[in-house]
Amino acid sequence: MGHLNKRLLLLPGLALLIYPLLPGASDYVLHVMTLALIYMVLAMGLNIVPGFCGLLDLGYVGFYGIGAYTAGLLTIHYGLSFWLIVPLAALNGALWGALLGAPTLRLTGDYFAIVTFGFSELVVLFLTNEIWLTRGPLGLPGIQPVTLDLSWLRPDWYFEFYDKAPNFYLAALLVALVFFVMGRMEDSRLGRAWYAIREDPLAAACCGVNILHYKVIAFSISAAIGAMGGCFYARWSMFLSPDMFKFWESFLVLCMVVLGGLGNIKGALVGATVLVCLGEVLREVLAAAGLPPETRFMAYGLIMVLIMRFRPAGLFPAIAASGRANPLLVVLGRRIAAGEFSGEKDDARGTSA
Amino acid sequence: MLEQQLINGLTLGLIYALIAVGYTMVYGVIQLINFAHGEIYMLGAFFCVTLITAAGLPFYVAMLMAVICCALCGILLDIIAYRPLRRAPRLAALITAIGMSIFLQNLALIIWGSRSKPFPRASLPAYLSEQALVMGQVGLTWLQLFIFAVAIGMMVALFLVIHKTRTGTAMRALAQNRTAAALMGINVNAVISFTFALGSAMGAVAGILVAVYYNTLYPTMGYTAGVKAFAAAVLGGIGSVPGAMVGGVVLGVAEALGAGYVSSLYRDGVAYAVMIAVIVLRPSGILGRAAIDKA
Amino acid sequence: MRLKSWKTTLVFVCAVVLAGAPALAQTVKIGVAAPFTGPAASYGENIKSGVETKVAELNAAGGINGMPVEAVYFDELCDPKEAATVAPRIVRDRAIVGVVGHVCSSAHLAALPTYVRVGIPVISPTATNVTIGDQNADRAGRVWSFRNVYLDDYQGQFLARYAKEVLGLARIAVFYENNDYGIGLKDAFLKEAAAVGLAVVGSEGYVKGASDFTPQLTKLRGGNPDGLFISGYYNEGALIAAQAANLGMKVVKFGADGLDNVDYIQLGGAAADNTYMTVPFLAAAAPEQAKAFIRTFEEKYRRDLDWMSANAYDAVGLFAAALAAVGPDREKIRDYLAGIDGPEKAYEGITGPTYFNAKGDPEKMAFVKMVQDGRFTAAPRQMR
Repeated sequence: MGHLNKRLLLLPGLALLIYPLLPGASDYVLHVMTLALIYMVLAMGLNIVPGFCGLLDLGYVGFYGIGAYTAGLLTIHYGLSFWLIVPLAALNGALWGALLGAPTLRLTGDYFAIVTFGFSELVVLFLTNEIWLTRGPLGLPGIQPVTLDLSWLRPDWYFEFYDKAPNFYLAALLVALVFFVMGRMEDSRLGRAWYAIREDPLAAACCGVNILHYKVIAFSISAAIGAMGGCFYARWSMFLSPDMFKFWESFLVLCMVVLGGLGNIKGALVGATVLVCLGEVLREVLAAAGLPPETRFMAYGLIMVLIMRFRPAGLFPAIAASGRANPLLVVLGRRIAAGEFSGEKDDARGTSA
Repeated sequence: MLEQQLINGLTLGLIYALIAVGYTMVYGVIQLINFAHGEIYMLGAFFCVTLITAAGLPFYVAMLMAVICCALCGILLDIIAYRPLRRAPRLAALITAIGMSIFLQNLALIIWGSRSKPFPRASLPAYLSEQALVMGQVGLTWLQLFIFAVAIGMMVALFLVIHKTRTGTAMRALAQNRTAAALMGINVNAVISFTFALGSAMGAVAGILVAVYYNTLYPTMGYTAGVKAFAAAVLGGIGSVPGAMVGGVVLGVAEALGAGYVSSLYRDGVAYAVMIAVIVLRPSGILGRAAIDKA
Repeated sequence: MRLKSWKTTLVFVCAVVLAGAPALAQTVKIGVAAPFTGPAASYGENIKSGVETKVAELNAAGGINGMPVEAVYFDELCDPKEAATVAPRIVRDRAIVGVVGHVCSSAHLAALPTYVRVGIPVISPTATNVTIGDQNADRAGRVWSFRNVYLDDYQGQFLARYAKEVLGLARIAVFYENNDYGIGLKDAFLKEAAAVGLAVVGSEGYVKGASDFTPQLTKLRGGNPDGLFISGYYNEGALIAAQAANLGMKVVKFGADGLDNVDYIQLGGAAADNTYMTVPFLAAAAPEQAKAFIRTFEEKYRRDLDWMSANAYDAVGLFAAALAAVGPDREKIRDYLAGIDGPEKAYEGITGPTYFNAKGDPEKMAFVKMVQDGRFTAAPRQMR
């Protein structure tokens, strides 16, 4: 790991960044890559709740939807600029995150999961039924693409992100931004408090961590990032419909997080890439093999099972890698491996943690 | 109208309850949310119809065979997808469950096609489609009574199995502490397989009842029902079998009353709002044991 | 090391994907974007059978000007996000000259920006949302998306008048699917019902894929209706008819083309009887070529022809006509299709003459058929 790994990741990353500039760049590939970038944002956002705090969140798509519709409606009715809408949408997401989180984050385990699930279903129902606001199932077409108006600097600097390539770079920028923020957060007092809550809430509380307080913060930040993802999605796809925010999306993002390696920011990036690309690769490969389209999702499900079967902790099982690298723990690990504590039990902890 | 809506809700709720029991039993024993359970329910309906149409079996025999097939599927599911992950982080098994759910749903799509199929009416005993009871505006069909009887009968049988048999005792022991149970000489994997078989059988029965009641079955039917039943299981207190039953009925009645008196468009919304309210007020579900909250 | 080999594989797979496809220029390809998996998969199956039949027919006749035709199927699950992903995939393949699809209006609207931007003609056999007509022109005002299915508002108005004038109903209960199709139809119906003085005693909605409709029906029953307008598709429509019968409602059922599928009768059983529906064509009154098609179709798929398959068949037919006239060029095909703008230039398909207005929407006549003794027949009285 370490050096080699970093360089290995950097090379294809750079290659991908240059790809849109190549003359033969295909819109389709760009589209898929942009989609992967959006899911990276979502996966990084979701990662905070189950990955850092250890709470199962099945309603993430609700915030994604809130962000997307906030952006869509503000664009259509008020023609606001994208750069203004992003913070507004994030704020709206965070607001709803706090509103939902404050009363429900006291719940433990799967009770919290089901409440978030109920919330996301309510969001979808609201988007579907409040036709006066969202046009309901008719969808919200005609959202203008992102523009960058720098004409106050130079008269001809007015850009419209109509083609695929500029949108790709915008999404990449968003990913970089979120990645940076997440990295800083992970190493901050906030991040350490979250880890403490995940590992042992009782111990964390004893150390003076206000558990509910930190959980609500985590939930709101996660919601805000989801809303940001939705915001970009709205301006990029130029069309919204409540169908896009069905429960299934929450699952998909959760799968990305777990597949990449729970609690690992880079893992979330990899998980998003793998699952988005897998669907497309299968579409091509199976069609080339002459199999009907119905086999695509069969293979998709099977591959998910197999990945988990052989890498149960995800592709990058670096959950709290920094913590494990702690010299004290390393020594402890060695002593356990050497069988010094072989009489000890390892109980439900290992399975239910 | 209220009486009719209550009957509607009760029928729906008992079906949810039957599926929810499968979730809750598996959860109680290995703390796994078995999201592929909805697909077992779907398979139950398809097995039953295939046995009737292709093999020409009578309804009750086909139903029994389909239930047995589904119980085997449940065991197989556990062996293939979950057993290798017993010691893995909990969420890993959740992802496998989702993967298996996608796999099974699309497998059914390939085998049986995407069209909704009617249930072969001719094979049903004739009395089932008759009205049992009509009082003014309130009607009750024999089919509904049949669903009530089967659902309640299965629940009672399940209760007896869990509380009066050795295997049931082993299941409860496993739910409390797996390591300790193993040390007492309980064959952990066998008991888990038995739990899966039992839960899957209940799910299959629910699937068949739904297919008969609504006269339709299609490969994606497991998804919605599975999600609702999971909500019911949590609402009732996940891990508690009577809780799953109560949760299912509450959810079904809330849905029917919501559609009847609030707004048909917010039908599911009413159900989920009731669910959220109950959970916020009773943080471990209606009948769940209060979890020890370390915080 | 394991990691590295895994990555090599990934890079290799990506390379294969990127390099694939642009080959074989001889065959003309038509893209078919529809749901083949997921909850709406049965609609995709309808489309596929219509397309397959037409393509087989074209190839049996030696192709179009000697070029064999191939249909390429793309699964989009009726999901807007998938549709938006599939669209650039379709337009990238230069051998694809036109697209038949999408099935769901929301998927169509999501894919539309790509088609319009790159420029590929699209004919949707099923997307009925009125909004599509406002979103399908590029910046030069050229329309790229056409459809040969009529819009929601036309059928809704037609049905309101038919219920009042021909069926002689007085109290209507409306049960609509909560999606663009159901709502568009319902709104047009309600408006026209108010205009012609038809009483609507209740209006309830349901979500797609639901199977229990008794709570809503129980509520509707309270209004004592004599007619039930099912504004949705056949799968749910059949269950609604059956559950209404179980609740003891004796009503005349009617709906739009969404109900027109033999599954309606199969799933509804005896309760499906006495249902009226608008359709773009009647098998009994169809031209000779259509009868031949209907026979082939029924032999091959062992079920009655439905409107989705028929429209898909005609959509491929429209492309075939364009290809025969102007050759495999996306832009010329679009111009050809846009040129079919009046009844005298109409394309004579099996669903009757089809021509497009300036928005790419069709102008078609509506017929009424009904279910009687477990079979579809033409309704005894049509309305002009």
